[in-house]
Amino acid sequence: MEPHCTGHYPHTRGLMNFPRFASLLRNLFHKQREERELDEEVRASEQLLVDENIHAGMNPQEARRQARLELGGVEQVKEQVREIRAGHLLDALGCDVRYAARTMRRSPAFTTTAVLTLALGIGANTAMFSVVNAVLLRPLPYPDSDRLVQMWSTNPKANRWGMWTAYPRFEDWRRENTVFEEMATARTWVISIKGGDHPESLFGVMTSSQVFQLLRVQPMLGREFLPEEDQPGHDHVILLSYGLWQRRFGSDPAVIGRTVNVGQENYTVIGVMPADFRFSPDLRASYRVDAWFPPAPDPSRNERGSNNYYTFARLKPGVTLAQAQAEMDAINEGLAEKHSEDRELGVKVVGWQRQVGSEVRPALLILLGAISLVLLIACANVANLLLARGAVRQREAALRQALGAGHGRLIRQFMTESMLLAVCGGVAGLLLAYEGLHLFIRLAPDIPRLNETTIDPHVLIFSAVLTLGTGLIFGIAPALQGSRTDLQDSLKESGNRLTSGATRARARNVLVVAEMALALMLLAGAGLLVRSFVRVQQVDPGFNPKNLLTAFVMLPPSKYPEPRRQAQFFYEVMERIASLPGVECAGGADSAPMLTNDTGPVSIEGHPVEPEIQAERPKITPDYFRAMGIPLLRGRTFAWADNEGSLPVAIISESAARQYWPDEDAMGKRVKLEDGSAPVWRQVIGIVGDVRQDSVVEAARPEVYAPLLQAPVPYMALIVRTRTPPAALTAAVRQAVMAVDKDQPLFQVEIMQQVVDDSVAGRRFQMSLLAVFATIALGLAAIGIYGLMSYTVNQRTHEIGIRMALGAKRGEILHLVVRHGMMLAIVGVVLGTVGALLLTRFLSSMLYGVGANDPTTLLSVATLLIGVAALASYIPARRATRVDPMVALRYE
Amino acid sequence: MAPDQTNLLQGTLDMMILKSLALAEMHGLGISSRIEQITQGTFQVKPGSLFPALHRMEEEGWLVSHWGESENNRRAKFYRLTNAGRHQLEAEAKRWSRIALAITRTLEAL
Repeated sequence: MEPHCTGHYPHTRGLMNFPRFASLLRNLFHKQREERELDEEVRASEQLLVDENIHAGMNPQEARRQARLELGGVEQVKEQVREIRAGHLLDALGCDVRYAARTMRRSPAFTTTAVLTLALGIGANTAMFSVVNAVLLRPLPYPDSDRLVQMWSTNPKANRWGMWTAYPRFEDWRRENTVFEEMATARTWVISIKGGDHPESLFGVMTSSQVFQLLRVQPMLGREFLPEEDQPGHDHVILLSYGLWQRRFGSDPAVIGRTVNVGQENYTVIGVMPADFRFSPDLRASYRVDAWFPPAPDPSRNERGSNNYYTFARLKPGVTLAQAQAEMDAINEGLAEKHSEDRELGVKVVGWQRQVGSEVRPALLILLGAISLVLLIACANVANLLLARGAVRQREAALRQALGAGHGRLIRQFMTESMLLAVCGGVAGLLLAYEGLHLFIRLAPDIPRLNETTIDPHVLIFSAVLTLGTGLIFGIAPALQGSRTDLQDSLKESGNRLTSGATRARARNVLVVAEMALALMLLAGAGLLVRSFVRVQQVDPGFNPKNLLTAFVMLPPSKYPEPRRQAQFFYEVMERIASLPGVECAGGADSAPMLTNDTGPVSIEGHPVEPEIQAERPKITPDYFRAMGIPLLRGRTFAWADNEGSLPVAIISESAARQYWPDEDAMGKRVKLEDGSAPVWRQVIGIVGDVRQDSVVEAARPEVYAPLLQAPVPYMALIVRTRTPPAALTAAVRQAVMAVDKDQPLFQVEIMQQVVDDSVAGRRFQMSLLAVFATIALGLAAIGIYGLMSYTVNQRTHEIGIRMALGAKRGEILHLVVRHGMMLAIVGVVLGTVGALLLTRFLSSMLYGVGANDPTTLLSVATLLIGVAALASYIPARRATRVDPMVALRYE
Repeated sequence: MAPDQTNLLQGTLDMMILKSLALAEMHGLGISSRIEQITQGTFQVKPGSLFPALHRMEEEGWLVSHWGESENNRRAKFYRLTNAGRHQLEAEAKRWSRIALAITRTLEAL
């Protein structure tokens, strides 16, 4: 009869009614009593039937047999009653879980191996995901942060897409746009603060007004900058960081309104920012800020050619990124017509959050992908273990089937066991992730927002889904295999020794092949990164970073208003430092590779003004090249005699010579630095080697050097080449500077080798991490193939015994087993190579000096993997050759 | 848990069990022989259907049970209707009459 012609039960419609709920509770909590009652009831009924039958004249034996037939089996009736009871499914699940837990406890070695493997996989994935979550997914730590954008200047002709912006240009943007609620700009500015017993260098940020309103962050005390405080005359106001307020002002709330001496000028404290407030273009944890103030100290703030400011804005509600871009493009066209400096420049509006992670996004996603491959290998391993055990448990499954468990019921039981394993692995993995995360953060290079990494609800959900998915993936094959038992065969088989069917063997082979393939892909990726890193290490940056100490000195304009006095100061400092014991020589430059840069326009005599030529324009002391270890290729270096009274001179780098005078000799030609310092034609008197300015892997930009005495600057990087370990000389250098002027602190003291190493720290970290992942993968794959071979040898002991009894040589037996392992390894390696060829191109951006399909790398990792597989198969094979034919045959 | 729709046969079994308990309380086998007796052997309720039905109806609150002594002094579990059970019986009986009438009409029309 069809269900649709049936009526409803008046009392059971909708939700569970109260009596049924009460029954549920009873069934769940008084299970034993309920069970006892049921048993009694059914047995009593059986007895009644027997009585009846005897009464009807049967003999007792026949009466009992008939009663049993009529009842249909006490256990079966009980099971049927159980199945209709409230909470039956829950109950069955509880049963399955208890059974699974018992099974797990019975084989601790298996359980430990499986849980640890899973914990490692799930834990590593969870840790990796929590980093991705913090760095790429979580909104920025400001209200309505999805409307925050960054504004980049671009120069399509020069192929530059991420330049900062000149302050006057920012002011035009801010005035003319209608799409942003607020727009602000900022630039880091190191400055000294006086008062107390010692001068201190502050990591300051010069900002336009309204920056905190834009971020929707209130100062903890006081107020933020007013619009008029952008203007000279009103711009000597300062906001303190919480740290500075505590450290230097003793957390005194009365600090508001007080005057402090910053950069030799007086500033009024107008506020203190909250302790947890962080702000920088990419929100790196390492980016320390002590104070915020208007761009008053910046001599270049009115220069349209100095792209030194980082600009950001908040979109008005409802305005899209594309609309904002369109309007900014229009504004930009207008500016290009008015200002020659803006002619080549474009503008790009990008979402801030997306931008923050953009640099590390590919690396993080690749690492997450890699670690998920490791988890897949772990799954394959556990599935293999389960399959091996499934063979042993075949009789158990058959027995349960005989006792009335259906196909679905068996699948459910096996899946419950897998899920329980997965959950144990997941919980252990979460603990592992928690620990691993600390390690990760400690070892990782400076990744934006890395310090925000926590195990938050998103991570927990990810981890839970991953755990269940993992259980499903590794559990499904064993469950299907286990439930597809042929009753007759299994019960008849005398032990666990006979091979358990071709399908099971095939499944295990497939899993091992998959492990090999995945491991090869990971090894290929790691191999490429290792080779890249070796190449990076071999790159000559153009200078010698060993035994170099660097530090900045910044002269306040109020104390050193005249360029001549600035130059005099640096001359004296250089002389003093050069004479320190342990110092080989000392030079200075206002911009130096890996430390700062000053990219800007230069002019070349006889060349048309367009296209604008960009170069690095360091002002240096005579010994700079010697201190840096930059080779002089032609001509001479500067001398102190190259001063304001002598012929204006310049030294250019090799690539500048090649680019500016491709077909001529650069020596004796004339260049001009378009930076407002000393716009005169300078004669090229020397050519030096190229240096890599940004990092060792980025190509060198042309350099045009000018002597300090002909183009004085108020700040310099001191470059000190030492004979002894450079760190030890820090104090001596500081004293040498203070001996010239006791108020001048050193900023940003660094060991050049460390700076160079830091510039490749990201690569080193990615390489190390991927190498670790690949090693784990290799280990798991080796365990996988070893496990399969050991299992096969065990299964075939009997067969091997017969072969040996029939005269097979040990070598032949060895060959038999190893060949099986090698076949799997080779198929895996071939598939893995195909996979690697498809996947490694995603690594391209992280590679240096090797192609994504580098054959050497592929060949070596394939060889490595096959070698490991051979070893992993050889050990069980050796065991096979030691089989004593007599023992093996008697085993029957 | 509580089925929205239950097939006709189960409904019928419930109704017959309720009906046989309407006059007096009975133990499980008593119910099945009573049904067999009323229907003159048309319905034979096997223990495999009877006991699950009894337990389900008890969980629904239509029946209550207690241990007692059978006619030949054996321990047995006796079932009794509750008020909810009586309501259920009425509802089932009405529903049945409606269906029976409908079927009868259908057959006559043909």
